[in-house]
Amino acid sequence: MHENAAENSVILCRSCDLAVRKRALPSGVRALCPRCSTALYDTPYCSVNGMLALCISALVFYFPANFLPVLEIHFFGSIRTTTVFQGAFAVFDQGYWVVGLAVLAAAVIGPGLLLLSILTQILIVKWGLSRLFWRNSLKQLLKFHGVLSQLTMLEIYVISFLVSSFQLSDFSDIYFGMGTFCFTMLFLVTLFLQREYDLEHMWTLLEGHR
Amino acid sequence: MKQQGKDIGLCLCKVCRQLNSSDLTHCQRCEAELQVRDYSSLQKSWALLITAAILLVPANIYPITMLTNQGQVRHDTIFSGILHLVHSDMLPIAVIVFTASILVPWIKIIGLSIYLCAISFDIPISKKKLMVGFHIIEWIGRWSMLDLFVISITVALVNMGQLLDAKPAPAATAFALVILLTQLAAKVLDTRLLWDRLEPQDDTN
Repeated sequence: MHENAAENSVILCRSCDLAVRKRALPSGVRALCPRCSTALYDTPYCSVNGMLALCISALVFYFPANFLPVLEIHFFGSIRTTTVFQGAFAVFDQGYWVVGLAVLAAAVIGPGLLLLSILTQILIVKWGLSRLFWRNSLKQLLKFHGVLSQLTMLEIYVISFLVSSFQLSDFSDIYFGMGTFCFTMLFLVTLFLQREYDLEHMWTLLEGHR
Repeated sequence: MKQQGKDIGLCLCKVCRQLNSSDLTHCQRCEAELQVRDYSSLQKSWALLITAAILLVPANIYPITMLTNQGQVRHDTIFSGILHLVHSDMLPIAVIVFTASILVPWIKIIGLSIYLCAISFDIPISKKKLMVGFHIIEWIGRWSMLDLFVISITVALVNMGQLLDAKPAPAATAFALVILLTQLAAKVLDTRLLWDRLEPQDDTN
């Protein structure tokens, strides 16, 4: 790194390319671009062990959330249940594979890959930074992190449980299952994990080890 | 200090937001290709947006679900589904569904076209307001997925033949594509293009 001090204290806004002088912030404060109010940076509070704990608990909830019944319908004595995973495949089976893929990507694959990616990143940061291979893997994971976190739409799925249960309560009795609880917990834990996670901080961890 | 990175020879990496000198071709941190401005992104964004606007028509006029209730088949478009919710006294749910499946796609398409027009035809609209609108569009865009999630849960749950049966209908695919294409149109666009048209006298805009 051959940057001088003056260059280091200047950052550019990613939305409008304005040069802004970087200043130290008190914790919990976010710097906004003075021209277009895009969020520029905040004080990272990125505890690696805290993230590891959150990540493991999210992975514990991940499988029951996707494979246990989330909604139950009681209709003339027969009970039907569905899981998040079956939901995606049901539309797939009807021939609407675009819809099926969208649901599968946003609710099952996206969160799964995001959690696995964060877990790998943390493990590399903790133990593997000295090897070139692991540093390169970390670099690739960090590059894809933005896409994965945009693909994850757990919060929307949680609301859609509510909406569909109200819609179907018009026809018969609806009950939530164990999967609903696990999915909501998965959403909450992932939310806190993403608040803790700071991409810029992860990049500096990688940089610091060159 | 109202200088743009372009003027002082600096360039931000799009992938990892590392500050680079604009002489470099690849980011020194993540090795992604650097572009001071991505002029082709305007065309890509227009193309995606126009496709999405065309697909919005079939998404709204064709039925999105097909419900068989005790032998009677009912086809519901997005709008008639919401009307049905209003008539069965579920106003809060109707408001949520209306926001997610009608309001958000329309706001996105209209908002993005205003934004792109402002760049392409140099229309004098307050750039700050445009940027705030753009951030809102980026954030609310994902909420349209709500309708697709509801459809997938309903279809998987309600399959009791002639008694009660829900199936997706053609508009579902069009609607999914509208969401995908508008999200891509917003993501692909290089927003720095808007701010290059800055005249010296109105740099507070």
